[in-house]
Amino acid sequence: MTESVELREHPIMITLQDAISGDGFLAGITLSGRALMRKEDDEKWWMYGVHPAGIAESGTTIEETFLRFRNKYKETLFDIAQENRSFDTFKAEVERFFYEGDDDEQLWEKALLAIRSGAIAPPAPFSNLPRESPESKPSQITVERLDRKDKRFVPSDNVTDTYSVPMAQAA
Amino acid sequence: MSASVAYTDVERMLRECAKGFTVRLANHSRVVTYNKKVYRTLPKFDKIEIGHIRKMVRHLEINKDCVEKHGVI
Repeated sequence: MTESVELREHPIMITLQDAISGDGFLAGITLSGRALMRKEDDEKWWMYGVHPAGIAESGTTIEETFLRFRNKYKETLFDIAQENRSFDTFKAEVERFFYEGDDDEQLWEKALLAIRSGAIAPPAPFSNLPRESPESKPSQITVERLDRKDKRFVPSDNVTDTYSVPMAQAA
Repeated sequence: MSASVAYTDVERMLRECAKGFTVRLANHSRVVTYNKKVYRTLPKFDKIEIGHIRKMVRHLEINKDCVEKHGVI
């Protein structure tokens, strides 16, 4: 028998792309990440990072919360660019920021399993979001130096900021 | 329950519950280090929303029982 339960932690998949100016370099950062959304006691939606984990933001709607989270993430990249004198140290710190995890990763996996068990379906407003497969979109970040002579720019490199919910069926 | 607390109370909690922590100001945020981990997104405001503190405590693996005694989460 499948027990019906309420989903308190809502697993979110995020995709973000930035071009960041550093001290003598231009970096392109593309992130395929994870986060949790949760309605807290203050009646706000909170978005807690999973990858990257060290970040949180709030809003009155999930759209506002995502936009504030997105802006906070960009500001963090600005801070890292300010603090690092070379592309290599910038890249290392962005990767550390992205991959340094915490217990929210287990909550994300637990919420995904709950959705996949069939016990729950994402409620509104999450039910209106696009659905993507976590297996076909693994959690990862790429930090690429863009100001290289051999770098070729093509329109297909462009990535739209998105947030989505994981599909109920494994890919 | 208040949705935010004074930063001075957060720092008091860190002094007791996260001995050896460091905090510095970046352009956009406070950067807190503890337990060989870094939390680089704590707001620079005088009042900090509790959600930020909850996340920082989880991320830096600060003793939750100790934190709760300070009433900051």
